[in-house]
Amino acid sequence: MKADKEKRRMISRDAARRRRRVESEVFAELSRLLPLQQSVQDHLDKPSVIRLTLSYIRMHTLLKGITGKKAEASHAVKCEQVMESGEEWRGCDRGRDDEEKKTDDVEASEETNMFLRILEGFLIVLSTEGDMIYLSDNVSKYMGLTQTELMGHNIFEFTHPCDHEEIRNNLRLTAEVWCGAKRDFVMRIKGALTHRGRSSNLKSATWKVLHCQGRAKVCVAPSSVSCLLLTCQPLPLSHTLLSTHTFTSQHSMDMRFTYCDQRITLLLGYSTEELLGRSIYDLCHTLDTNCLTKNHLNLCLKSQSVSGQYRMLVRGGGYVWVESHSAVIPSVRPSKSRPGAHQPLCILCVTYVLSGVEEPSLQLSLDQTVHRYLR
Amino acid sequence: MSARNAAAGGGDRARGEPAEDVLVEENQSGSVSLPSLMTPSSAACMSLSMEMPRKRKGSLDNQDTKSSSIPDADMEDIQNRSDGEDQNVKIKCFREPHSQIEKRRRDKMNNLIDELSAMIPTCNPMSRKLDKLTVLRMAVQHLKSLKGSASSFSEANFKPSFLPNEELKHLVLKAADGFLFVVGCDRGKIVFVSESVTKILNYSRAELIGQSLFDYIHPKDMGKVKEQLSASELYPRERLIDAKTGLQVQADLPVSAARLCSGARRSFFCRMKYNKIFIKVEEKEFQASTSKKKESQKYCTVHCTGYMRSWPTSHLEMDGDGEPDKQDSSYYSCLVAVGRIHSHSSPQVNGEVRVKPIEFITRFAMDGKFTFVDQRATTILGYLPQELLGTSCYEYFHQDDLPHLADKHRKVLRSKDKIETDCYKFKTKFGSFVTLQSQWFSFVNPWTKEVEYIVSTNTVISYDPGRTSRSEVKSELSSSSKTSEEDGNKSLQVILGISTTPGAMIYAGSIGTQIANELLDFNRMNSSSSSGSISPFSLPQDKCPQTHNQISNNMPNGGATDMEIPGKSSSEDEPQGAAFSGGESLMVENSQLDLDSVVGPGLSSLSNDEAAMAVIMSLLETDTNLGEAVDFEEMHWSS
Repeated sequence: MKADKEKRRMISRDAARRRRRVESEVFAELSRLLPLQQSVQDHLDKPSVIRLTLSYIRMHTLLKGITGKKAEASHAVKCEQVMESGEEWRGCDRGRDDEEKKTDDVEASEETNMFLRILEGFLIVLSTEGDMIYLSDNVSKYMGLTQTELMGHNIFEFTHPCDHEEIRNNLRLTAEVWCGAKRDFVMRIKGALTHRGRSSNLKSATWKVLHCQGRAKVCVAPSSVSCLLLTCQPLPLSHTLLSTHTFTSQHSMDMRFTYCDQRITLLLGYSTEELLGRSIYDLCHTLDTNCLTKNHLNLCLKSQSVSGQYRMLVRGGGYVWVESHSAVIPSVRPSKSRPGAHQPLCILCVTYVLSGVEEPSLQLSLDQTVHRYLR
Repeated sequence: MSARNAAAGGGDRARGEPAEDVLVEENQSGSVSLPSLMTPSSAACMSLSMEMPRKRKGSLDNQDTKSSSIPDADMEDIQNRSDGEDQNVKIKCFREPHSQIEKRRRDKMNNLIDELSAMIPTCNPMSRKLDKLTVLRMAVQHLKSLKGSASSFSEANFKPSFLPNEELKHLVLKAADGFLFVVGCDRGKIVFVSESVTKILNYSRAELIGQSLFDYIHPKDMGKVKEQLSASELYPRERLIDAKTGLQVQADLPVSAARLCSGARRSFFCRMKYNKIFIKVEEKEFQASTSKKKESQKYCTVHCTGYMRSWPTSHLEMDGDGEPDKQDSSYYSCLVAVGRIHSHSSPQVNGEVRVKPIEFITRFAMDGKFTFVDQRATTILGYLPQELLGTSCYEYFHQDDLPHLADKHRKVLRSKDKIETDCYKFKTKFGSFVTLQSQWFSFVNPWTKEVEYIVSTNTVISYDPGRTSRSEVKSELSSSSKTSEEDGNKSLQVILGISTTPGAMIYAGSIGTQIANELLDFNRMNSSSSSGSISPFSLPQDKCPQTHNQISNNMPNGGATDMEIPGKSSSEDEPQGAAFSGGESLMVENSQLDLDSVVGPGLSSLSNDEAAMAVIMSLLETDTNLGEAVDFEEMHWSS
């Protein structure tokens, strides 16, 4: 009786082992088909293999939608270009040989790299559920985690809970999304980078503030591939300032000036003294109130923000388009090592002036007229 | 155990310790790579096997079961570990029963399999659910078919990218929404431009490459662009702002090849030509290109962001002889940038017929005085902005409309909503009236919660009020104008509650002031109960607006009507020490972004602990702020 039971158990165990072996083989086969380096392929665990496979299939479907049309359009343009220059009609793509294709490939890769470098960020493709279907491989530079570690996971696992609602709102496929409305928001994400920029692990992750911009790509069928294409830029805490066309300013938490560097005089005409205590909301074009409010809120909630482009009024008349990068500076209390240091919680802004003075004779705000009389 | 504590603390991520929760479960996912967890060389793999079993946050609340029973026999079937040692480690560290952990792992795997089967075309038509192995095998087939169609050369590369490069490029372009261009700094020659330029500027790549950028820039912007390209900016004086102290640290960097390549950032607007004519493969195209100069050019504002970059000329094919010995000429400096259309800018009008605008924006101080007037107002009202600035809006409202507008004014100061006025008449410079309808809302500073000003979006309903049809005018207007006509002043008194001696002339200009004063009094009375979130660090700001307000009041108003009173009201000041939270917290629909509504009551979940501290401190210091309040006596209008 007992021996019987033992025998049955052994059989079932063997069967299980065989099943597992077969399964492992299929998994291995699947992982080898993934476009990854062999060393990475070998170390993938089963759920990761599935996640990455899913990403691959989804991206393929998605790109068919994007490049399909683009390929046609660029194809058409190429044909026209060929004809313009009077060259022989070589027949689109088919006539080209492997070498050309390879050069194109390399060129495309360089172009992408330049783009990503200018954007100073990485690309992320999010499904409507928040799954990170694809991330560009430079994500490791900014987040410390590699592309393969993150792909297929859900973004809500890596972002600050207070930002989840905002992210959800942005993922929703609303009516305006169909019309191609742009998405622009700030969120906090786990970054596993040390101060020196080396990768650490998720255990010692810190929050990194990311500025995300992008568009939705809505696929009618299969609808599960509708997604959001975002470029994510970490907001740096240090800035390379240009010697002209930028100025720094410090504000109290309600956005009143507490300090401003003198370059503002050249750019906007205000003296630094007259700005102290003034609210930034007074100095800007009313139509940009929402933009500034959003920026202010992001600062209060997430400690860093980048405004979109908004207009700052120039002393005496007119305005300039500017863009501000801001951060909340934690307060400094006098300590033993620095007994004199005292700095309250404040906001530091680096503002880039983008345009020249527009409509210099136009006085839109009360301040601009007052100065005319005061001069 | 520390791990358990970490797990317990995992739910409270707001503290900024995000990572511990990840570590807890993941060792349970009986994965093949478990052994590799122990090897330090595969740090990447460690995180790979760390996956959250569920996608919902706060998923780590299964800490209640305390049984630490050794897993029973059924575990063996599911176990896939080659290293039994791990199991022991896990049992010690985690109190959760293995069966639960395993269940979660299985569920997760099943979910993934389901998702996979949904994505594979061959699996879809199957009515019954397929088993795991079949789905996997079909996935293999599917991937093979996908790879077959796209001949990707990336496999030959040392480092294959997940997506084929061409497709990735398209993806990036779509996300970035702009075109890439590289121009030489010395002469502005366009060295490279991406295909997407066609979509944006309507020029083909061939047309642009090799041309000078300056041929495509608005003449007035050429100087600015030259400045941006100038080599003297190539060596940035890098100023780092230390986020800890907020201080600037200057560092003049030595000029070296490495430094040049790291690039100074550039960001500027410029107007670029765009081609109206779509290039068709016809004879006409040649005509089009030559006649471009004759036609009036269309420009669009492009926002260019990028960085400076240098390439050693030895690497490039240059026209001249690039001697690598010479310092300067051995580097070819370029601006590498992305150009995006700036949507906010007003379109360039080149001889187009101007359509009369029907909307303009104004800003009022709390007492109704204009502090900002959009230039579109001039075409509509006849006044230049500076003629209106500093005067009270009530001076321009038709007498019949005063009651209802005053009412709305009161409402908007106490509400976070957007308030719609009825149609009303506004006096133009020429003495006639236009019918407007406005949407008002009080702009509240997100930090201090105080009203900074009122924003008004004004729409023209009719230029000739006489012809206004009944349907346009809101019903209340006609009825109110009838009743108030007989006893104009008296009804004003009743409505506004102005406590002056009966019979005194009520000047329209004072209405706004009175309303603002009312609010101040209201707030002053309620200030002890209201919670202010004024930063304790705000500078004494009452002096500034007060002085400039006085001056503005002394200004002569252009186009003055006899209702104008140059009062000495300084009620523009925001009420100090009295936050505007009030008892009326409304709305379902928050037209204004608000800290509380976003974060929830209490700002304790701010990631910045210091910010939270500051708020708490400010709550405590509200009373002291009251002491610094402006003398209220000064603020009432006195005839």
